[in-house]
Amino acid sequence: MMCLYKPELQATAKDLDEVKALTKAGADAIVLGNQQFGNRVCGDFTLDQVKSATDWLHLEGKRIYIMVNAIFHNDHLKQLPDYLKTLETFGVDGIIAGDQAIFQLLDELNLTLPLTWNPATLSTNYQTLNFWHQRGLKRATLSNELSLDAVIEIKQKVAFPIEIQVHGMTCIFQSKRKLIRNYYNHIKEDYNPEQMRFIKEDKKDDTHYPIFEDGNGTHIMSNEDLVMIEYLDQILEAEIDGLLINGILKTKSYNEKIVSIYREAIDTYLNNPRHYQIKKSGWRQAIEDIQPEQRAMNTGFYFKEQIY
Amino acid sequence: MTTRQKPELLAPAGNLEKLKFAIHYGADAVYIGGRQFGLRSKAGNFTFDEMREGVAFANKYGAKVYVATNIIAHNENLEGAHEYFKNLYEVGVSAVIAADPALIQSCREAAPDLEIHISTQASIANWRTAQFWKNEGIPRVVLAREVSVEEIREMKEKVDIEIEAFIHGAMCISYSGRCVLSNHMTSRDANRGGCAQSCRWKYDLFEDGNDDDISLSEQADEKYTMSAQDLSMVEHLPDLIEAGVDSLKIEGRMKSIHYVATVVNVYRKIIDTYFEDPDHYQIDPAWIDEIWKAAQRSLSTAFYYNEPTDKDQLFGKPDRIPKYDFAGLVLDYDQQTQIATIQQRNSFGVGDEVEFFGPHFYHFKQTITELWDEQGESIDRAKHAMMTTKIKVDQPLKYYDMMRKQK
Repeated sequence: MMCLYKPELQATAKDLDEVKALTKAGADAIVLGNQQFGNRVCGDFTLDQVKSATDWLHLEGKRIYIMVNAIFHNDHLKQLPDYLKTLETFGVDGIIAGDQAIFQLLDELNLTLPLTWNPATLSTNYQTLNFWHQRGLKRATLSNELSLDAVIEIKQKVAFPIEIQVHGMTCIFQSKRKLIRNYYNHIKEDYNPEQMRFIKEDKKDDTHYPIFEDGNGTHIMSNEDLVMIEYLDQILEAEIDGLLINGILKTKSYNEKIVSIYREAIDTYLNNPRHYQIKKSGWRQAIEDIQPEQRAMNTGFYFKEQIY
Repeated sequence: MTTRQKPELLAPAGNLEKLKFAIHYGADAVYIGGRQFGLRSKAGNFTFDEMREGVAFANKYGAKVYVATNIIAHNENLEGAHEYFKNLYEVGVSAVIAADPALIQSCREAAPDLEIHISTQASIANWRTAQFWKNEGIPRVVLAREVSVEEIREMKEKVDIEIEAFIHGAMCISYSGRCVLSNHMTSRDANRGGCAQSCRWKYDLFEDGNDDDISLSEQADEKYTMSAQDLSMVEHLPDLIEAGVDSLKIEGRMKSIHYVATVVNVYRKIIDTYFEDPDHYQIDPAWIDEIWKAAQRSLSTAFYYNEPTDKDQLFGKPDRIPKYDFAGLVLDYDQQTQIATIQQRNSFGVGDEVEFFGPHFYHFKQTITELWDEQGESIDRAKHAMMTTKIKVDQPLKYYDMMRKQK
């Protein structure tokens, strides 16, 4: 029997070069944005660059999603209508947003931009997602703090495509405050916005939480990189629709390699699940070989219990 | 001259006793947690019977009771939601405060007449999002703590919806609901009531590429932290009233009776004073003094006027704030003998300088000169928790008045 299921392998990109490199490495779709409207974009794309990326990707038969996932304040709303209209004329394949203002805006502006609903930590159960589906989402990204069992249950109980992150660091904190700049002011040091930084838990030397500021405030990223390469069988078996590789704060060459590994793994599984089983430890090793020294690998909350 | 209606003063009530104090000291409404679906799993939290009693008490004062059902649910938490909302409706609470649409929908299905307010956990920070909820039939939104007074004014101009905004208390330094530090660092789910307050911990900050492995925190001898000062609008309340805020909310379901009574008392006084004569409204320094008696951290106006800076955060050692104990609760007062019956809540004794206070900003200080136990035996100190004592007092007192003592 023909297998109709074809997951979309998505990757974030920081510039046009990376858009092309990751597409050639096997991504089906590229995710990008501008920090004026997007949270934790990998690089700032001007509208001209979004247009170039869109045209190029469409020629390649690939898709492009634009991150419009900021928590909006009144000021955002002034320029957002023009931004969305322009994205629609470019023919991008969708926008990613998580503020309810977007439903209203798309309606009022009569736009048909497909909406991927992604409110970061708030996408945690099927009933919630069905509620947003009735309000107009086309796809939804699930929160990272879910077990794989919960992901699979959601997939079974919703009638639209869902996406999960399978690789890279995840965001674990967002403040509107400038929490790095504030600290530098406090200790009377000059703050250099280009400098990359991380924090460690007190007396836990092996921890490493990247921290950065952008136009939307301060963001803290997870201590480990999510690496689901050895568990793709469970994800693909459940027919999860979108698999995201988040390449934020990683080099182009690292991301290229990661995308190609996941591409190969997905294709292998879909052609012959047994071959996937044989090869998966090799892929994991290949990832370990290029993993930055400070970045541990784990499986996030997919197999971890939480208490409350 | 303002043409506005008095806004609601909304206070936290971690248990039935706190509910009674909050209302007695002037809250127009209280919010409480039940045994399910609430974010403060460690607060007292009400059984349905306690809720019934709380609602009956509130009704006597014309006050309202709201129930926080503000978790971000996972699949396994959805079970029982219908029954829970049905029970809340039958108990007679005035509204629920929810952030997760799954629970909003359950509430609508199970109790269509139960009012729903959207929680601050949903981070509503713009007028279109408020409009979205208005169109959904929601009468009230609790705003994100990141909005300014000006932004609130614009929201009220553009959208006909009730706005509830925080005026006092502890704050998330993140957008509420968008922080899972606790999940990652302690496996405790912050959005289901398990928050370990990891933002207030001490960290070391490093700059990448600095190969000597020494953190900036070590060089500067100052740990990195993200602890927010507490919010207080005690000096600026009319700004929020004039921006059109409908409900002024005090944080703190985990806080003590002393805290709730003190803070409610001050804001009740401010609101009433302002509405008596808005044009000649002046801040009384005694109100600010009083707020500091319940303060647990330094105070800030957070996002209401400017983006907060390092001056709105807590670094290093905590600021020294005078600490007061709730020493005793006045149960009765005999006008003839001028002797008050007082239930001990913290140790006190002869020679202690104490302060009595009650609703309507009633205050006086005195030194305890004569003290008796329940049997009328003269004693030196009231050492036993909850023991009944009698004290000779300088001025009249009533049931619910409180006695505090500097630590």
